Parts: sequence; structure tokens; C-alpha cells
Amino acid sequence: MSLLSKKNPNKIKEGSRIADFMIYFFAILICIATLYPFYYVAVMSVSDPMEVASRNVYLYPKGLYLDSYSLIIRDSKMWTAYWNTLIYVVCGTALALLTSVIGAYPLSVKNLPGRKWVVRYLIVPMYFGGGLIPTFLLVNNLGLYNTRWAIILPTAVNIWYIILTRTYFMGIPDSLRESAFIDGATHLQLLFQIIVPISKPILAVIAIYKIVGIWNSWFGALVYLPNENLHPLQMYLYRVLVQQTVNLKDLAFDEATEAAKKIFSNIQLKYAIIVFTTLPIIFTYPFFQKYFIKGVMLGSLKE
Amino acid sequence: MLLKPARGKISPFESIKGRRRREAVKLYGIMFPVLLHIFIFCYIPMYGIAIAFQDYHPGNPFIAFDGSVKWVGLDHLKKFVTGMYFTRLFGNTFRLSLYLLVFGFWVPIVFALLVNEIKGGAFKKFLQTSSYLPYFISTVVVAGMVLSFIKSDGIINSVIESLGGKAKPFTTDPKYFSSIYTITNIWKTFGWNSILYLSAITGIDQNLYEASKIDGANRLKQAIYITLPSIVPTIVVLLIFAIGGLLSANSEFILLMYNPAIYETSDVIGTYVYREGLLSGNFSFGTAVGLFTSVFNFLLLYAANSASRKYSSYSLW
Repeated sequence: MSLLSKKNPNKIKEGSRIADFMIYFFAILICIATLYPFYYVAVMSVSDPMEVASRNVYLYPKGLYLDSYSLIIRDSKMWTAYWNTLIYVVCGTALALLTSVIGAYPLSVKNLPGRKWVVRYLIVPMYFGGGLIPTFLLVNNLGLYNTRWAIILPTAVNIWYIILTRTYFMGIPDSLRESAFIDGATHLQLLFQIIVPISKPILAVIAIYKIVGIWNSWFGALVYLPNENLHPLQMYLYRVLVQQTVNLKDLAFDEATEAAKKIFSNIQLKYAIIVFTTLPIIFTYPFFQKYFIKGVMLGSLKE
Repeated sequence: MLLKPARGKISPFESIKGRRRREAVKLYGIMFPVLLHIFIFCYIPMYGIAIAFQDYHPGNPFIAFDGSVKWVGLDHLKKFVTGMYFTRLFGNTFRLSLYLLVFGFWVPIVFALLVNEIKGGAFKKFLQTSSYLPYFISTVVVAGMVLSFIKSDGIINSVIESLGGKAKPFTTDPKYFSSIYTITNIWKTFGWNSILYLSAITGIDQNLYEASKIDGANRLKQAIYITLPSIVPTIVVLLIFAIGGLLSANSEFILLMYNPAIYETSDVIGTYVYREGLLSGNFSFGTAVGLFTSVFNFLLLYAANSASRKYSSYSLW
């Protein structure tokens, strides 16, 4: 900048160094505030239990202790929970994509009689809902209580995704549909063989929203699933970290492990399990971030 | 009947009206599962709100006219409003949301202005990416982390003690909960909430900045007199939504963070509905309380929108 202004004395000076310094100072402060808690948890999870207990660990790991991780890896309850989450993510995402596509396609067809009423039918539930208890009673009456379906079915349709998908479909040129019809395609063929393949950008946005949403959800399991074998990962974490009904110390320690370590390592096991269950999100997050931002933009266009 | 067209083929003998009707039937056939799902999982629960005005017991139909349903009118609502916990619940819910609005609403705006001032590509990206990260971490993990940080021998108390202070009972003394709730929620969402502002900023005409430079405006002045006014519509819309949510504190998060020792400041309407309505099985009472919240929130949203339409000419509808 300074070089430029020397070359070109008429150029208007852009900002001062002090302003730049302040901006970067605050920006770095914000980075530390958002990242340090995660870093701290990771550092605590691998440090020596005695150092952790005497509260000496802040900036870098002291000693190296990976037993917490090897204990967690042998925890069958956690793997069950991981497996359940995988089932919920796969089924939930597949259903959300399917229902968004079949819900959006008819509404994107011009001249569909009664379209106005169907759109109203979709919009009302976006503003009003029955609330926690009537929904709970419904799920109960349908016989879904304490089954995997209680997690998968009630959220299978997302009206917001249908509207996003419809907006995208309406941007597809009509000539494409017409030529498909002239070739004798049915609506379903047109939808799944032509429209869906060219709608990958919007479907990717929906899939990623849904995957992260299901991965992070736990309240449905709290309300509908007393059976611990059906619990998703976050519900397992809830039991470990908040309710403390799962005591990680009970996981079999080798007899050789010193008594002191047993006592001090419970908190460390918690840190380790946080790291172990959050890593998949942290590692994939930079890749899916752009889809999320796209989703926000698409949403705001509607407003 | 010999001329009856094969299914799916367009016959020249069929009227245009008939063809359109047949098309419509096919299209509605495609979306039927979706319409049915919405009917079952959205509309039936709405109709289930009727139990707020009855003495409902599991197994009863939501509405019946054969005398099997005991209608009690507004009794449950009255019981809640005159009940001993009403002031506490209403106060806590309102206070927690208000704190978040007052202390948190401007944070994403200032952050967006700050990000906009950073010209370097890589650092800017890093800053944005790290600020969005907490939004993607599950509420359970965030609550678990915060609980371990604030416990009596957690990092916060370690720092306080090493600075010569006394360890504070963050998890058991009610007076700390509002701050913990507010700070954690701001931390989790400020980056994410800045995205809309940033996208509004990228739409600003660059000529405005050039012109202001010629008039001698520095960067602070540009931010205050050009960038900020340009994102006012976005600010107003988000503010209306925030006011409309004043009676819906983040009860999923509170459920993870609170304990009976601090109910005094942390119990909100949402958590009360969960405990009293669902866990204790007072379904009618819980539904009535939930309905009260929804109606109140809707009125707030409506009032905020009307006020905004009157005074700033921006509105949601």
C-alpha cells in the first residue's frame, strides 16, 4: 500500500495502520475465542491424568496419555450409538430428499389446478404447530413410541425444503420438459431421469442440512426412546456428559492401571469422548460449509 | 369404447379440459405421500391442541361428542397464569431472551462489518470458517463442554484462582445462569448469524465507497454511513423475528444446562412444559401452557411487524 502511494501521490490514502492493527487484533481475538475451547478439550484429553487433575494444562499437552481413547474405542455402547446415528442419518436424509423432490415437482408445473390452495396448505404449518405434547400423543397413538420410526418418520417431510426445491425446479427451462414429453416420457420419468440429475446443487444443500441436523439432534430420542439400544450418539453423550448416568469409570480398566489414574481420568474420558464424537463434524465441516452458506442465501431470497 | 386411449398417451379424441384434469390427478398422485404426511404430522397435532381445553387422559380421542371428553374451558390456562410458578417462568423466559437480544443482537452486525474490513483472502476465510464452527457443534457437546469448564475445578475457576480470586459456584448459584446462557448462545451463533449481513454487504454498490473516499471519509465513517445503512433492511427483518421469539428461550439448551438448584433463574416455559406436561403426564395442562406461549409469541411478532411497518416501512407481510 505504501509503495503504491509513493508511486502515485494523488491516490487517496486508504485507512491508517492503526485501524488495520485494531481490526486484525480483534479478528485474532475472535478466532481464539471460538477455537480455544475445542483446542483445550483436545489438549486435556491427551494429557497425563495427574497433570490434568492438578490443573496444569492450558496451552499444550503435558505428558501423553492415550488410554482414555483406547477405553472409549472398546466401549460397545458408544459404537451402538454411532451405528444408530448412522441409520437415522441415512434413512432421514434419503426420505427428506425423496419427499422434497416429489413434493416440489407438482408445484413447479405451471397451470396445476388448485396450486394456490396446496401452497397455503404447506405454509400454515410453517407458522403454527401443535406443540410438544399433541405431537407426542400422536406418535404414541400411531404406535411409533420407542421404535426407530419415532425418530425417522415425524421429520421425514420438511416443508421448507420442498419450497426451496420448488423454487429451483421452476428455474429449469420449459423446453427441457416439453422435449421429454414429446419423447413420450411420463412425469415420474421426467422427474427422476432429467430433473433430479440437473438439480444436484439444491439436493446437496438439503442433504447436508439434514445430515448435520440429524447428527446433532437428541431431543427426539429423549422424548420418544426409553430404549437405550436405540439411542443416537448425541443421546448417549447426553447420558455421559450431562445426566452422568453412564459412568465411564466403569469401563474395564486394566489391573495394572494405577488407582490414582482411575479416579482422575473420569473427566478426561469425557473430554476424549467429546473429541471422538465431534471429530467427524470438525473434519468434514470445511467441505460442507459452502453448501450451508448457499442454503442461507437461498432462504433469504424468499423473504 | 374401442377408441379409449391407452393410459399415459395423449389421445386426440380427449377434450383439453379432460386432459388437464387427468394430468392434475397424476401430479397430485405423485405428491400424495407428502400431503398425507403433512396432514398426519402437522395438522392432527394442531387439532390435538383441543386437549388444552379438556381433561384429557391417554386413550381418549382428541375430540368426541359422545360425552367421553370432559371439557373444562380455560381452566388449565387459568391454573397456569395464577399458579405459583407463573411469574418465575414468564420472567425467566422473557429475561433470558431479552438478554440475548440486547447483548447478542448487534454482535453479528459488528462482526460482519469487521470481516468486511479485512482484505486478505486466506485470513478472512479462516476467520469466517472458525466463527461458523460452533454453530455446527451439537448442543449436547456444547453444554457438556460448558458444564466441565464452569464446574468448581474447571478451567474458569482455575483461571480465577490463579489470578487471586475465589472459585465461584457457577453450577449451583442461580445468579450466574443468565450470563452463562447469554455468553454461550452468542458464542454459538454470532458467526452463523453474520452470514446474512455479509451477503447484504456484498450487494452494496462499490461506487458509493469511491465517492465517499473522494469526500474524505475514512474507513470507520464508511462503515457507519454506507455499510450500516445499506444492511438496515436485513437488520429490521431479523429484529422482528427476534422480538417474535421473546417468549421462546432456547429450552433444549437449558434442559441440558440447568439443575434443580438453579431452577429459580433457569426454569423457562419450554422446560416446564417438558417436565410438568410430558414427564408428569399432565398432558392437557402442558398443552395449555404451550398454547399460551405460541399465542403470546405470535402477538409479539405481529406487534413488532406493525411497529416496523409504521416507523421504518420495512415489514414481513
